[in-house]
Amino acid sequence: MLIVRKFLRDVAAVLGFVIICVVIGIAIFGPFLLPHPDLVFDSDILRRFEPPSAEFWFGTDNLGRDIFSRVIIGTRGALMVALTVVAIAIAIGVPLGIYAGYTTGWPAEVIMRVTDVFLAVPQLILALAIAQLAGRGLGSAMAALALTYWPFFCRTVYAETRRLRHTVFIEALQGLGASKTRILFVHVLPNVASPIIVRATVGMGFTILTTALLGFLGVGATPPNPDWGLAIAESREYLPDVWWAATFPGLAILITVLGFNLFGDGLRDLIDPKLRRSRS
Amino acid sequence: MPSRRSLLINSTALAATMVSRISWAHGQTRTHELNWSEGPPNILDPHVIFDGPMVFYMLNTYDTLYRYEGNPPKIVPWLASSYTASPDGLTWTFKLRQGAKFQDGSEIVAEDVVYSFQRLVALNRGPAAVFKPILDSVSVGEDRYTVQFKLKVPYAPFLSTVPIVAIVNPRVIAPNVKNDDWGAAWLSANSAGSGPYRLDPATYRPMEAIDFHRFKEHFAGWGHNANPVELVRNRYILETTTRVSALMRGDIDAIDHYLPVDQLDRIGRTAGLRVTNDETMRVFVITMHNGRAPFDNVHYRRALSYAFNYKGFIDGILKKGAVRNPGPIPQNLWGSPADLKGYEFNLEKAKAELEKARAAGAPVDREIEIHTQNQQAQTTQAAQVFQSDLRKIGIKLKVVPNLWPPLAAATTKPETSPDMWLHWVSAYFVDPENWIGQMYDSAFHGTWKGSAWYKNAEVDGLLREARRELDAERRKGLYEKASRIVVDEAADIWIYNTIQMRGLSKRIQGFAFSPIGGGSEFRLLSLT
Amino acid sequence: MTRFLLRRLLLALPALLGLLVLTFVLLRVVPSDPSTALAGENATPEQIAAIRKAYGFDQPLWRQFVVYVGQVLTGDFGNSIFTEQPVLGDITRRLPATVELVLAALLFATGVGIPLGVLAAVYYNSSFDHAVRIVTVGGLAIAPFWFAIILQLVFAMDLDWLPLRGRIPVGMPPPPTVTGLYLIDSLVAGRFDLLTTAARHMLLPAFTLSLGSLASITRFTRAGMLETLQKDFVAYEKAAGYPERRVIWVYVLRNSLVATTTQIGLLFGALIAGAVAVETIYDWPGIGSYAVQAILTSDYKAILAVTLVVGVIYAAVNIAVDIVHALLDPRVAEQL
Repeated sequence: MLIVRKFLRDVAAVLGFVIICVVIGIAIFGPFLLPHPDLVFDSDILRRFEPPSAEFWFGTDNLGRDIFSRVIIGTRGALMVALTVVAIAIAIGVPLGIYAGYTTGWPAEVIMRVTDVFLAVPQLILALAIAQLAGRGLGSAMAALALTYWPFFCRTVYAETRRLRHTVFIEALQGLGASKTRILFVHVLPNVASPIIVRATVGMGFTILTTALLGFLGVGATPPNPDWGLAIAESREYLPDVWWAATFPGLAILITVLGFNLFGDGLRDLIDPKLRRSRS
Repeated sequence: MPSRRSLLINSTALAATMVSRISWAHGQTRTHELNWSEGPPNILDPHVIFDGPMVFYMLNTYDTLYRYEGNPPKIVPWLASSYTASPDGLTWTFKLRQGAKFQDGSEIVAEDVVYSFQRLVALNRGPAAVFKPILDSVSVGEDRYTVQFKLKVPYAPFLSTVPIVAIVNPRVIAPNVKNDDWGAAWLSANSAGSGPYRLDPATYRPMEAIDFHRFKEHFAGWGHNANPVELVRNRYILETTTRVSALMRGDIDAIDHYLPVDQLDRIGRTAGLRVTNDETMRVFVITMHNGRAPFDNVHYRRALSYAFNYKGFIDGILKKGAVRNPGPIPQNLWGSPADLKGYEFNLEKAKAELEKARAAGAPVDREIEIHTQNQQAQTTQAAQVFQSDLRKIGIKLKVVPNLWPPLAAATTKPETSPDMWLHWVSAYFVDPENWIGQMYDSAFHGTWKGSAWYKNAEVDGLLREARRELDAERRKGLYEKASRIVVDEAADIWIYNTIQMRGLSKRIQGFAFSPIGGGSEFRLLSLT
Repeated sequence: MTRFLLRRLLLALPALLGLLVLTFVLLRVVPSDPSTALAGENATPEQIAAIRKAYGFDQPLWRQFVVYVGQVLTGDFGNSIFTEQPVLGDITRRLPATVELVLAALLFATGVGIPLGVLAAVYYNSSFDHAVRIVTVGGLAIAPFWFAIILQLVFAMDLDWLPLRGRIPVGMPPPPTVTGLYLIDSLVAGRFDLLTTAARHMLLPAFTLSLGSLASITRFTRAGMLETLQKDFVAYEKAAGYPERRVIWVYVLRNSLVATTTQIGLLFGALIAGAVAVETIYDWPGIGSYAVQAILTSDYKAILAVTLVVGVIYAAVNIAVDIVHALLDPRVAEQL
């Protein structure tokens, strides 16, 4: 367990890991521990814009809902969305990347050209266009993000597979007459797993950020979803007097994404052979 | 060494900043330049679009035969000096004022008016919708200052609709006509009017910046204003908070009137600023699709009408920035019965009506949708308030954020029209026809105003009769009767009539509100 | 080198054509019909039908696409559905504002990021290294739109130290256009008052935008430095008695910057995307806020054009970066 001990030495990465655990804990158990479960979705017009207090820790929003409770519920939403998007992106990108990396010929060529097309525009711009045009809503925003994120996995896996294909180890397997499927799934896949895991971890944070931005711009989550980005957008008309309504959802984004990024960064250090060399 | 140099740079920069601040402050106190921030029309051609922003633009750069002034709005002669209508309501004759000039110096004569109406109808865009079905011909009358309109059908509100049509200068447009477009491509970013302010096309930036320069020879003269503004810069700032803060810092002198009340509090607290408060004619309404189950059941519609928290919304969220409007016609306009009660927030009554609907076999358990307009935060708030109250009586409401263009498209067909949607019906022209007439006459099915898909032969008859009837008192009776019926049948959920609140610098003098244009009339303003 | 250049350019072409197909299909398959937006609020169904015909929305998709590609190749992006003004004009007018903002952010990010990265590598695994790491990772974790709001709240609204919005105050004439970048244009015109005003306006947006890039550049510089520091020549130079500071800041840094250069090319795309959020909050009249406006009004021609223009710029920047990379490291050219 050398790798674990090494990881534990990395203070930042451990911090990231702890944040992720806490955030996941909140997502799972939070809904049962809400101070005001009735004020998550239901408005209470008489209690609009109460500043943070012992009763409402993060204050109330423009419809008198408890921001603390909404941030808690929003945690579950944010994680679910990011997890789904990253999972779909992996499900599309990884098989295509392995296939294109291992074979030659026109299908591989087509896959990589399509990947190039998607990578030719900043992901956000493309996702914005797709999310807007597929009809507003969380569903189309998630589809847009997954659709524009898989090429990153495809690219990474393609490069790794290409590298592996010419290694002695794979060539030996081919010589032994192992089937292509077997080689791909039993021998290639585990070897490209590390970069996938690193990318997925960082991708979780990145997707939470992008989803929030889409929600903020009005092409993501829809009311009354307690989505963090949407909450910031909804409260921005009342700034600066009602500073709390925009501040706390933003902090929630910051802390969650920070957790994933620190952890992903630490994983990369562990896995990236170049950096490992420099560490020894 | 480097640190000393950067220190030097810093101090010069600081000095320069201070200098620029001072000279900038001087610029602010110039009394002939006004910085305004209001949403501009997306296209500058007044015959192509007609909406709130266009009224703002038209009021300053174009003139019309008649126009509205004051509150309540009165129709007054403008480029025309008088009119006569034949007893059958089919022939309308307008006498033009003599000597009125376009901004290029040429005189406005009957031919120009004829050209303007012909252009409007030929382009057949937004504002033509009112005239296309009724206008038979427009021609020069007995002399060059007389215009004669012949209508296909008697149309009592005709005079009220005349202020929709800007009179444009054919001599300026002629050299810019391409492919038979009546100069529409050119006029979308230029002007050809006679109004008190002239567009500066060189500095025009769509949806960003419009500069207006005073037109000294405007026909109405400048005697009413000893110290008129020479240059108005309209700068559109999309973000509400940024826009309000820009006003509070003095970067701009006046902002538009679509603001959350909470922001108006900030403005009111700021020295040197004031907030205007005027009841306008802009009805906020939740339109229901009367043609689709369960909305085709009158008890279901009444249940929903009892389930909206009118008082809570108006007093709580809008902080009384609106007046309860129980029916489709603005309650400050004739035709709206003075004793109209409408619906109040009462969940017990809502439940009772819901049970009646259920007993009648209406699919009351279906999840229903309400579409909001994304850029209008208030539509989302109203939808969410509605959503949480409906949940209490067991109705599941889904909020769908949408935008104006797709909504206007969806409402053209009954299949694509939403269950419910939130919008305002503004005063395009001041006549009950603009509200109840175009909302509940089944002839208007397929337009966004007619998206309630309401069909009632009696109401159709009343509204059509009112359209033909020239006697004002009888028209009033017809509209009141129609109002009572649609309210009793809960055709839609009418929420409030808007109070316009606008943030203004106290330097601005002469501001006069009218529901048409909302007081954005630079001609009347001066600066101290 | 010429062959490398040609191949690199050729490689970019299919991607751009594919992009054209992708965006077009996406945008035209959409249910929302732009004809209604065009017709205006009070239009009748007949008016809408007439517009649909006039604009060719009733034609088969492939024919609309062929027409569109022809137009794009001749530099005609068509007129905005919303304002009926040429989209190309809107974009060329707004592009300099975004370029200026992005360049300023990039300059700040490299100016601060490279030294931070070097120091983090030199004091590897120290508390300084950890602090830099948490701060830079934090930079990547912060939502730019939120941070923009907070900074605006604190520095413009509350403290009143910096301007709130825009490139220059309302009513102040901009410097005569040479490059379209106000900072450079006011220098050219010798207008130092304008220069400071424009710089003050740029401070908050550029800083907000730079955060993500600052983090990336720091991390890449750190990684590159760590790798180079392991190499034999470093030990040799140290042994040969070169001053350590000189070894690190000149020899090692120069050798480590190859990776950082590549990163800057990729960052350009991220910066343009980030500009969407930042420009909206600070009311910066660039193509980011233009894109948001186009999305809000379902202006499909403008969305198409922005996506394409950003795609072309992105491709161009990456080609330029590859060329620089190839010049720095000739092995790269051979690989292609």
